[in-house]
Amino acid sequence: MADKAKSLPEDLRIEARPQPRALRILTIVTVLGFAATLVLGLGVAGADIQQGEIQRIFYIHMPSFFGAFTAFGLTVAGGLIYLARKSEKWDRIALAGVEVGLAFSLINLLTGAIWARPIWNTWWTWDPRLTSAAIMCLTYAAYLMLRAGIEDPERRRAFMSVYGILAFVTVLITLFIIRIVPETIHPVIVGASPQNAQGSFEATSGVVIALIPSMLLWLTLMPITIMWHRVRLEERMDALNRLKFQVLSE
Amino acid sequence: MPMKTAITVLTLALALLTNGAVMANDGKEAGAPYFQSRAFNVPILDGWDDQSGEAFAQFHLAEAQATIRTTTRTLSDPIAAAEAELAMLTSLRVPSPTYSDKVNLADGTWQVLVYDLEEETTASVMARTADGRVVVISFIERDPAARTAMLTLARSDESHEDAAREMILASDALAETMPSYLAQEESVTLASGEWSVYAGEGITAMGLVFGNDSYVALQQGEQGDLAALADAYNRTLLGFFITPDNSQYLALALAAVLVILGTLVGSLFWRERGLRKDLAVLEELAREEE
Repeated sequence: MADKAKSLPEDLRIEARPQPRALRILTIVTVLGFAATLVLGLGVAGADIQQGEIQRIFYIHMPSFFGAFTAFGLTVAGGLIYLARKSEKWDRIALAGVEVGLAFSLINLLTGAIWARPIWNTWWTWDPRLTSAAIMCLTYAAYLMLRAGIEDPERRRAFMSVYGILAFVTVLITLFIIRIVPETIHPVIVGASPQNAQGSFEATSGVVIALIPSMLLWLTLMPITIMWHRVRLEERMDALNRLKFQVLSE
Repeated sequence: MPMKTAITVLTLALALLTNGAVMANDGKEAGAPYFQSRAFNVPILDGWDDQSGEAFAQFHLAEAQATIRTTTRTLSDPIAAAEAELAMLTSLRVPSPTYSDKVNLADGTWQVLVYDLEEETTASVMARTADGRVVVISFIERDPAARTAMLTLARSDESHEDAAREMILASDALAETMPSYLAQEESVTLASGEWSVYAGEGITAMGLVFGNDSYVALQQGEQGDLAALADAYNRTLLGFFITPDNSQYLALALAAVLVILGTLVGSLFWRERGLRKDLAVLEELAREEE
């Protein structure tokens, strides 16, 4: 086994690159944190008197958007630093941000649609907030498709860095659209709004106890932990591709 | 080893989740102030006499001689269902509507109707076809000293922050009042939201903006109880379609979350496995060459 490892590039040697202790700890803390926030949301916070049980999905619905915000924000940071330094590491972070952010956005979109069915009596409505969230998801899904379609690695990294930076506009629009276009039925969480006459709830102590840990988890631990695993995988995939190229050219 | 740890922790999480769901059910507040049926869910109005039956929610306010009723009818036409409902409820002949229009809300298109019936009775109705039936929400006012009507209108001018334009349209259509006769008064905050108030000679109009629509209440003649009536009717409208028992939707949403997260994490494992297989093939090739 040791001989085998010696014949491989260092990036591909599992024995030479064990999972960092910090990542292992982070993974365990994240999984436990996720379980704890579920218990808080499903058990500790009381049932909403008007909306009933489905209101509990709010403890995932809103935090998942902010988790996507962190991941897409790291894509912007990765893209900018890649363009400045041309270091592949930052391109991998940008890619990981898109994959994780897209998954979190889908969670946000799906849980919203499932909440809307019993509360608004419809799975979907072309409300400005819902529409902008859908456009955001499609924009980042297009990132992954475009990335797969560009063969030249350097061109791909440069192009996708610019795309990842520009795509963040859709995240900002989704975040602020209910302030820009007030004709929305989506509840406005911060501040008073006429929208809150329907499908809204008061932030009681139970809500706060469940919401704040969930927000912190999704905003920081969840995206960072998953992205770290994804970046490590991408490093190894890049090394494998280099090895394949080397073998084929020999 | 990390895989085994993850499985153990996930099992623990699921056990806690199950326990959490049980705790959630135990902690559920019983007797929420809602009339709940399979087709609709409406708030039980404080201070109103609850006359609800098994298949209909009905509340009556004696001092205003007003009734709010929500039910379903097995008809296909919303107007026919509204008229059948009014005929049954008032035992009066139902003439052509004084006002008839459609409005698109989040759950679909509603027929908005106002009828001036005999015996100084005014009826405002919202009706919509859903699942082969028509849901009918009626507001009936029999006070001989006042005429009160409720309308829901699409916002015609989004530059206005309040429902002024729709209040003017409604008062023009129903009371034939010149728009310039209405003057703005102080707005009022009720359980259903913040209402703007306009008043003219013998008429008061109240308007609530919600999303792309305005909810308007008009009262002519002797005035005084419009705020209470508008609030009660619009609380019924805004809350009526919330599904009473929606715990299955919560389970569906949680399943969706776990599936997406599982796919994301699973894809990392699958790609890692693919990588190792490719690596093994390359090593095999290298050995064969040697």
